[in-house]
Amino acid sequence: MQGNVIFVVWRESVEALLVVGILQSWLSTNAPDARRARAFLWSGVAAGLAVAGLLGWALIALTEALSDTAQEILRTGLVLVAAALILQMVVWMRRHGRTLKRDLEGSLDKAVATENWWGVFLLALIAIAREGSETVVFLTGILSVDLGGGRLGAIAAAGLGLVAALATYAALQIGARFLSWRLFFRITETMLLFLALALLMTGVDGLVELDVVPRLSRRLWDTSMILSDGGAFGGLVSGLTGYRARPDLTQLLVFLSYWILVPWLLSRPRRSTVPNPT
Amino acid sequence: MATDRDHSLSRGLFVLRLIGAGLVLAAVAMGLPQTARADDPVFRIVFEDGKMTPSRLEVPADTRIELELVNAGKTPAEFESLPLRKEKVIAPGVTTSMVIKGLDPGEYSFFDDFHPDAPPAVLIAK
Repeated sequence: MQGNVIFVVWRESVEALLVVGILQSWLSTNAPDARRARAFLWSGVAAGLAVAGLLGWALIALTEALSDTAQEILRTGLVLVAAALILQMVVWMRRHGRTLKRDLEGSLDKAVATENWWGVFLLALIAIAREGSETVVFLTGILSVDLGGGRLGAIAAAGLGLVAALATYAALQIGARFLSWRLFFRITETMLLFLALALLMTGVDGLVELDVVPRLSRRLWDTSMILSDGGAFGGLVSGLTGYRARPDLTQLLVFLSYWILVPWLLSRPRRSTVPNPT
Repeated sequence: MATDRDHSLSRGLFVLRLIGAGLVLAAVAMGLPQTARADDPVFRIVFEDGKMTPSRLEVPADTRIELELVNAGKTPAEFESLPLRKEKVIAPGVTTSMVIKGLDPGEYSFFDDFHPDAPPAVLIAK
């Protein structure tokens, strides 16, 4: 049971920590106005925690009032917005990775940065609020009963889960310090791209459930013998990569178009014609 | 310079639009009624601190069904199934319902995401 608590707390927070951790490393290294950028990020985290508490409370108190469809719409909306924001961040990082500091130090348009900081704020908020609200429900329930191991055991386990999550975060920060920036950027960019796809796939599943998008076909194939997406481990893999064991045509098309469109989007040269400082 | 400003403007608008879309979604979500219909066949799944009963549930394929999810345990449960595209948190002592639209014949595993060490259960559509 205690191992369970540790795992659930870690898993629920790891996605948000990935996003926050990568943004934190990126902003510290690349943003010229790093202090201000980080203020946006951490205000987003704080706001996310507040919203998570509120949502968690709503999930417990308003179960009857919030219809199934309402929850589905809310969840679908949140994952789609999160996916869009992550993609926007990755594109932005890629385009401005090497030039942002110079651009802004050359006192070009600082508004560009400010508006992206709001994107950072919103992304941190949604990332934390989405999984955080479930953690709130989970912990409220776990901590309100005696599970044999005693309440203290459960609290300790929840604490350990949080420590494991923070260790993941620390690993990211250490990675940023010891790997070459280029390599770290490559790795985290890939992780973010997979995460955005996983969110998009969940969002599309939601849209299908809501009858907004057609399913186009029955399942095309079944790889659940190799890796089932129906269990706890497969679920975690799917949640971080967008893997589906039994995809239908809609899921397949989303998956394929994502990997065609996104590399194109990333390789597109910058539109703006900022003159090179001479 | 001008293009840079356009760029920043469009990005600002993009973020605003996202926030707007989120708010509209939330508003719509609050006002929607339950979608279950009276004549849907109802199947009951009971969660009890990691145990799911029944662990094999047969349902008709290609038919709308309603799952009645009961948490009889002391700890919260989360019905989760990617193959079913469903995810729902159930607080202790709560009974909630979930509509499943027509399923292809086959097996769909689901598990309690808040008790991941327990074996998954399976829904069989025939």
